Amino acid sequence: MDGCRAAGRKGGALSRGTVLVYHLCRLLLGGLFLYAGAVKAEDVVAFAGNVANYKILPYSWNYLVAATLPYVEVVAGLLLLFNRKVRPAALVLGVLTAVFMLALASVTLRGLEIDCGCFNPGGEGHTGPGAALLRDSGIMILVFLTCRLRGRMSGPRR
Amino acid sequence: MSLSAETRRILLEAAVIFILGVVLGLSFNYRLVMNAFSGKEASPVTAERPETGRFPQPAELEEVRRLMDEGATVVDARARELYEEGHLPSAISLPVGEADPLPGSFRERVPADSPVVVYCSGYGCSDSFDLGVLLLAGGYRDVRIFEGGFPEWTDAGLPVEKGEP
Repeated sequence: MDGCRAAGRKGGALSRGTVLVYHLCRLLLGGLFLYAGAVKAEDVVAFAGNVANYKILPYSWNYLVAATLPYVEVVAGLLLLFNRKVRPAALVLGVLTAVFMLALASVTLRGLEIDCGCFNPGGEGHTGPGAALLRDSGIMILVFLTCRLRGRMSGPRR
Repeated sequence: MSLSAETRRILLEAAVIFILGVVLGLSFNYRLVMNAFSGKEASPVTAERPETGRFPQPAELEEVRRLMDEGATVVDARARELYEEGHLPSAISLPVGEADPLPGSFRERVPADSPVVVYCSGYGCSDSFDLGVLLLAGGYRDVRIFEGGFPEWTDAGLPVEKGEP
């Protein structure tokens, strides 16, 4: 959140390199979540199975999460790709990623060897909790950079 | 601690984005979610349609127990060794690899109008769904998939049987 709140007031000109890094982070983050959301929205029932594997929620709630989460990812991802409402969208994705990391840490502590269900529900690929935690750490860095750099850029509020 | 106007704006817009995503998701998957919460079978929405034009329907633990009390046949779709290590009470072993065509012994034992509950190793396992499709294609009319499978059964502390079929 601190990153998202940061220094819009400074508003100084940024180097071209910094602007480039900002756009790269924004596009990478937006593209990643647009893809992740779209493939999960394609097969909600399989994704509900992935959510159920975490053994955190009651039966029906797995379906509720599976039915809604992909669309939150898609909306936030699209906003980032179109460079609109960047900090709010990145904040949403940051909070989601933090929740994913807590869930992954919980399955690691309980010794469950499950597929994280991050991208391809019911597919062939398999990403264990450890690898998914590492990847989510990288995503958190992208979220932080996107928020922070957006805050430092001048121009209309986004 | 008071938040600046800008922080409040970001938080508010983030909440709007989240709610927009949830509303969109619910509008696309309304029926699925309502079915899940009303205790009905949450039918698959995008799974490949089997040749029979019907899906084996999912059933949750409580429903499976009720069906078992009412005399449904329980079928274990896992490998024979896993079945021997432990299975649901009175379950019949029919590994999915041995079910196409359905063995005559199975047909003799289970009438086509009997409700059948199929399970395997939980949500990560597709053998029960595949076997369910074969059973429907083989003329069985009421086929349910216990999606939580053997892991959910044992996690609930319910009794298991061991030994050969």
